Amino acid sequence: MKSRIVSDLLQQKILLSFFITLVIVGFSACDILNLKDKVDPNGPSLQALSQNATKDEIANVATGIESGVRVDINLYMVDVGMIGREVYRFLASEPRFTGDLLGKENSVLDNNTFYITRPWRARYAVVRNTNILVESAQNSTELTDNEKNGAYGFAKTIQAYQLLLNLTLTYDNGIRTDVATDNLGPFVNRQTALGNIATLLDDGYSDLNNAGGAFAFPLSDGFAGFDTPATFKTFNRAIAARVAVYDAKYQDALTILNDSFIDPAGDLNTGVYSIFSTASGDQINPIYRNPDAQSGDSWVAHPSYITDLEAGDDRINKVFQRSQTATLDGLGGDYGFYVYKTQTDPYPLIRNEELILIRAESRIQTGDLPGAVSDLNIIRNAHNLPDYSGAQTESALIDEMLKQRRYSLFGEGHRWIDMRRYNRLNQLPIDRTGDNVWQQFPIPAPENA
Amino acid sequence: MKLKLFYFPIIVCLILLTTTDILHAQFKVNGTVTDSKSGEPLVGVSIVVKNTTIGVTTDTKGNYDITVPGSQATLTFSYVGYISKEFQVSTQTGTLNVQLKEDVLGLQEVVVTGLATSIKRQNAANSVATVSAKELGGTTVNETIDGALYGKISGAQISANSGAPGGGFTVNLRGVTTINGASQPLYVVDGVIVDNSSNSAGLNAVTAAAAGGSSSNQDNPTNRIADLNPEDIQSIDVLKGASAAAIYGARASNGVVIIKTKRGRIGAPKISFSQSIGFNSISKRLGVRQFTLETALANYAPPPGAGATPDEIAAYQARKSFVESLYNNAEQNGFINYENEMYGQKGLLSNSGLSVSWGTAKTQFFVSGLLKNEDGIIKHTGYEKQSLRANIDHQVSKSIHLSVTSNYIHSTSDRGLTNNDNTGVTFGVSLAATPNFVDLRPNQNGIYPDHPFNTANPLQTRDLMTNQETIDRFIASGKVDINLLQTNSHIVKVIAEGGVDNYTQQNKSVFPRRLQFERISAQPGTSIFNDVTNMNTNLRGVVLHTYNPPSGQFTLVSQAGLSINNADQNTIVSVANNLIGVQTNLDQSASINTQQNRTFQNDRGIFLQEEFNVKDTYILTAGVRGDKSSRNGNVDKFYFYPKASLAVNLSNMKFWNVKDINQLKLRIAFGQSGNFANFGAKYTTLGPSNIGGNGGILIGTTRGTEGIRPEQQTEIETGFDASFFDDRATLEFTLYQKRITDMLLNRELEPSTGYQFETFNGGEMTNRGIEVGLNLNPISSANFNWVSNINFWKNTSKVNKLPVPAFRAGGFGATLAIFQIEQGQSASQIVGIDPVVQGPDTTIVTRKLGDHEPDFQMSFYNTFNIFKNWEVSFIAQWKKGGDNINLSQLLFDLNGTTGDYDDTDFNTTELRAAVAGIQPGDVNGVKRTKLLGVSAAQYVQDASYFKLREVGVYYNLPRTTLNKWFGDNVSAIRFGVSGNNLITISPYQSYDPEVSNFGTQPVAGGVEVLPYPAQRKFFFNVKIDF
Repeated sequence: MKSRIVSDLLQQKILLSFFITLVIVGFSACDILNLKDKVDPNGPSLQALSQNATKDEIANVATGIESGVRVDINLYMVDVGMIGREVYRFLASEPRFTGDLLGKENSVLDNNTFYITRPWRARYAVVRNTNILVESAQNSTELTDNEKNGAYGFAKTIQAYQLLLNLTLTYDNGIRTDVATDNLGPFVNRQTALGNIATLLDDGYSDLNNAGGAFAFPLSDGFAGFDTPATFKTFNRAIAARVAVYDAKYQDALTILNDSFIDPAGDLNTGVYSIFSTASGDQINPIYRNPDAQSGDSWVAHPSYITDLEAGDDRINKVFQRSQTATLDGLGGDYGFYVYKTQTDPYPLIRNEELILIRAESRIQTGDLPGAVSDLNIIRNAHNLPDYSGAQTESALIDEMLKQRRYSLFGEGHRWIDMRRYNRLNQLPIDRTGDNVWQQFPIPAPENA
Repeated sequence: MKLKLFYFPIIVCLILLTTTDILHAQFKVNGTVTDSKSGEPLVGVSIVVKNTTIGVTTDTKGNYDITVPGSQATLTFSYVGYISKEFQVSTQTGTLNVQLKEDVLGLQEVVVTGLATSIKRQNAANSVATVSAKELGGTTVNETIDGALYGKISGAQISANSGAPGGGFTVNLRGVTTINGASQPLYVVDGVIVDNSSNSAGLNAVTAAAAGGSSSNQDNPTNRIADLNPEDIQSIDVLKGASAAAIYGARASNGVVIIKTKRGRIGAPKISFSQSIGFNSISKRLGVRQFTLETALANYAPPPGAGATPDEIAAYQARKSFVESLYNNAEQNGFINYENEMYGQKGLLSNSGLSVSWGTAKTQFFVSGLLKNEDGIIKHTGYEKQSLRANIDHQVSKSIHLSVTSNYIHSTSDRGLTNNDNTGVTFGVSLAATPNFVDLRPNQNGIYPDHPFNTANPLQTRDLMTNQETIDRFIASGKVDINLLQTNSHIVKVIAEGGVDNYTQQNKSVFPRRLQFERISAQPGTSIFNDVTNMNTNLRGVVLHTYNPPSGQFTLVSQAGLSINNADQNTIVSVANNLIGVQTNLDQSASINTQQNRTFQNDRGIFLQEEFNVKDTYILTAGVRGDKSSRNGNVDKFYFYPKASLAVNLSNMKFWNVKDINQLKLRIAFGQSGNFANFGAKYTTLGPSNIGGNGGILIGTTRGTEGIRPEQQTEIETGFDASFFDDRATLEFTLYQKRITDMLLNRELEPSTGYQFETFNGGEMTNRGIEVGLNLNPISSANFNWVSNINFWKNTSKVNKLPVPAFRAGGFGATLAIFQIEQGQSASQIVGIDPVVQGPDTTIVTRKLGDHEPDFQMSFYNTFNIFKNWEVSFIAQWKKGGDNINLSQLLFDLNGTTGDYDDTDFNTTELRAAVAGIQPGDVNGVKRTKLLGVSAAQYVQDASYFKLREVGVYYNLPRTTLNKWFGDNVSAIRFGVSGNNLITISPYQSYDPEVSNFGTQPVAGGVEVLPYPAQRKFFFNVKIDF
């Protein structure tokens, strides 16, 4: 009996040990412990884009670039417009606009405040998107070589433009121009930065020359007339011309202008714009406000705009006579800022009018004074003013050129930059005792520069 | 591989064969087991031959019959809720009748250890808190489970986020254990990991709460554990830290709450019907300012300054006569106390529950249903819940046992619109803007007047808006227990357990065009629809081997297994603006915006645990869990979480002869657990950015961290458990230290990368604490029995290492006081502006003003049985210390409507008064308003409290009366009265010290911005058992 029971038990145990083994082997064979690395379900992931982008996804990245150019431009406008004494941004809940930016009493430009950190990052976000576009175009199997060059050209042009805007804020403090990877390049000084930007534009230009007849992605109506590689490259040259005069390379500017869309006989408003709309996911013009809005939330023209305006000049239309004076923090203005007349008015990146003025400036600086006068007269006549009748000397013409730039490019972010590059910041009006005109913004603190 | 397979079973066989099974003669013992007090037979008592696996259970009459091998042995009698007994038996015994004594102090409770095992509390090496069904719901009716836990778990801080119906609680076990990760414990119900998310309703479209100083949604959401029916719960075990919870691995950093629901019984159906009816009312009123014509004009029509223009003077005159007319109207027709208007409703509460439990020896059933209907203290708010449960246990064959639970819940809650906003529309914010002399009530045509001083009329908002949350939830689990092998010394079991948790949460919020604040908006009428679908599935397989050698020297329990968890959630929120007429459908609008967000989580875990018990004297446990998860940067990497513990029962040792100390156990435990990274932390997601009708994508502010890892917690816990005086008193003492490393922190990136933030792992934080529990049965006589439970606990947290600069977390800026995470400081410190003297100057700096962590907490739970049929019990809690940030008072002050505005008893330091320019004659409201911008100390208020949480007085009809009236049909009738939150004593200057504007957001608890006020509840309860 004992042996039978023992052998029963032995049988039982052998059976059970096989069962256990089966279970364990079964589990491991089933691979249930394996996990698949899934992509983000809520949006396109960077990894997928860089390695394996479809043509549609590349188009989305390009559209994102065009759209991103508009982000926080109102903060850029407040920065350059206030310091350049072009506009007042009165916002009762934000005392730093009329305080820090105008150097009220003891205030300084803080390096960790939104007026520099936000627009600075917004431009670099677009730069990052352009680098993503380049990388995904490179690695994509769905674009032809021409289309790839088109993508590179577009990316490099916009990247250069965005870097330029940040350079205009930090000026001699420099910017980083090499941000292609997470291993950031160093800050370079203004000279080097301008050189790098110019080179970037030139590289983009040569890409565009090999980009065939069409881009692989759509461009909005803001690029109407500039949405093929052949026409887009004239926009590239236009930006390059601006960079050249910022770098005081006036002869180069004249050469570059020949390849741009400059048209002395054409509409001064021809150019490339950021457009706006109320559609889903889109944006309205953030600089637009009712010009007669209450003081606590208004954009107001600097009083000197009206007082220095020549009689008859139709650029009086860029301001609006308010029903009540706007006042805030010891400042005041009777005219509201009225360059953008509706919430969907476009914002210019660069226009024909500026190109003519660049040509005028370059002609002055290279000794072609009569040529400069004729360009200035194009501008003057277009705005109901008679021909220039002042002295035909370099210094007088520079004054006139700067004046025409002031009014023609009012509300487009140029005044402070122009006065600064001609060392005339001390000529800008001081409205309250103790106010300062700043030369540049500090590098944003998170840069750890 | 094949060769290994061949050898493996041989090895297993050899191990098993080394046991020697020797057969001897045998004898029988029989008898009856009864309750020592009542004499009632006990059904299902387990009788085991000690140190073997031979056992039987008593039948429905309490009788048993067991065949014992050999000629003598020891029989162990054990039954849940009763103290086990051992008897020596031999061939001479024959019949043995046993009386078991009820385990009043819970000495013989069984606590969870491992994923498939429990251990007697006497042998446990951790301090595991247990809450029995009686403690949970025996005193009064509770709305939700987490709400019922306060004051019952030592070491826990459980706080209601607001008084809104439908729940919303923050549970912190042993302090703050994360800064940016998930902060709530893991809830396991009958083996299923259930979802406990707090899903926002999308109300920001109307409140714009996230547009101001904080980007949190502040929607006052509920959390999903609220759905379960507290009456279904049999027991709750709480594993408070990594040393106990390590076996749950990478989800267990915040602790694990293990919930078991009731099971069927062997015998005729026991039907239990309970009905509670009650009402609730606001706990504390703050009072409203009694305006005089003078103060009304000063507040609402202040005269213009010296250099006023004629326009401004005219405007002032108009305003003055307007306010005068309002005031005169009030003098004639009566002033209105709007606090009473809004919060003064006495809500009707009704709870009906029915449970039936029956079964045979083979199959047991438990079926229960709940109908709950509770009104809130604000009109048109309330909570309704219907729940149905069926639990089945079935012994399929001698070695296979099947257990199935299923629960369907449907609930609807109307929560009103409270807490913070930036548009003036929530009840609290618009109430703060309402003085007692305006009349905002509707006229006889139902038209509400516009609020003259605010964008919203709170009465109109309350009556016309909808904010309704509907939950449909189904939780089911199944467990199969297979006894592969059962010999005298070995038991090998395979347990397969799985479950599903599926719910749909729908939030429907409608703000019709007619509302005052909607009419002035550019797109009047808002309809928000939020739809969340969630599916959790778990599967677990465990092999369990128990080895009891016949020598009885030790017991070895080994378990190994794997665990698979999947969770998917899909949230779609649509906001429609500019509604057509009185329509509420989303498409009946001029503009509609939709957002979708999906999250998923896939986890795989393996675990192994060994428990080595030497004669209940030395109990050594060691184990490890490995987890991998889709949340981690590297999904293929296993993160390992070991544990080890030792319990030494000094009282079981031979030398122990201290008569009065029945048990003394020393214990030490160590464990590690983790906390997953937040969903999406590893992705760099491009967001939509469209232009000119083309769809574009642009990088966002966050750069994904490809190598993100879970946070890691290491806990060491030590202490002792003792019981005295013939088990009439027990003392539990625990010291613990938790160290959290690899914390999920956000780092600001260089903006020239294009990004602003990324999440990274770093930093270190510790929590140290002490928990003491004393259980007493001071008086135990026939006519008076008193059981008392006193707990004391204290926790201190500290941020040891922080590789980023100190940052703010939770609040609205230093001016209003805010939490700040800083190296070397407590994780819950509150900082704010305050003037300090530095040399000759006085400057305003930001400094520490308080701490949300309490100095200590105590809880008192007392049950009295008087004259056999009366039962009185109460739970009280004392929290000492711990500050809140009270911004409700600030908002009342800024609007000039605080109840004590005109009093003069508010005091502040001389320095603050001087810097703020406070004059001797200033009233409270003026003083406090002047301090805004000077010091934030007035908002940091002591939130200590003493609360009488639950009180119940019950009468059980005596047996003789029952028999006389109902014969055999009714086995028990119990009725009584009870109350929740009846007394709150606190220096805190607002509705209730338990509040959280930011919901369960870690670190940010205790900030108050005009919440739904807390209530006290009264119930009349009847329970009938058939």
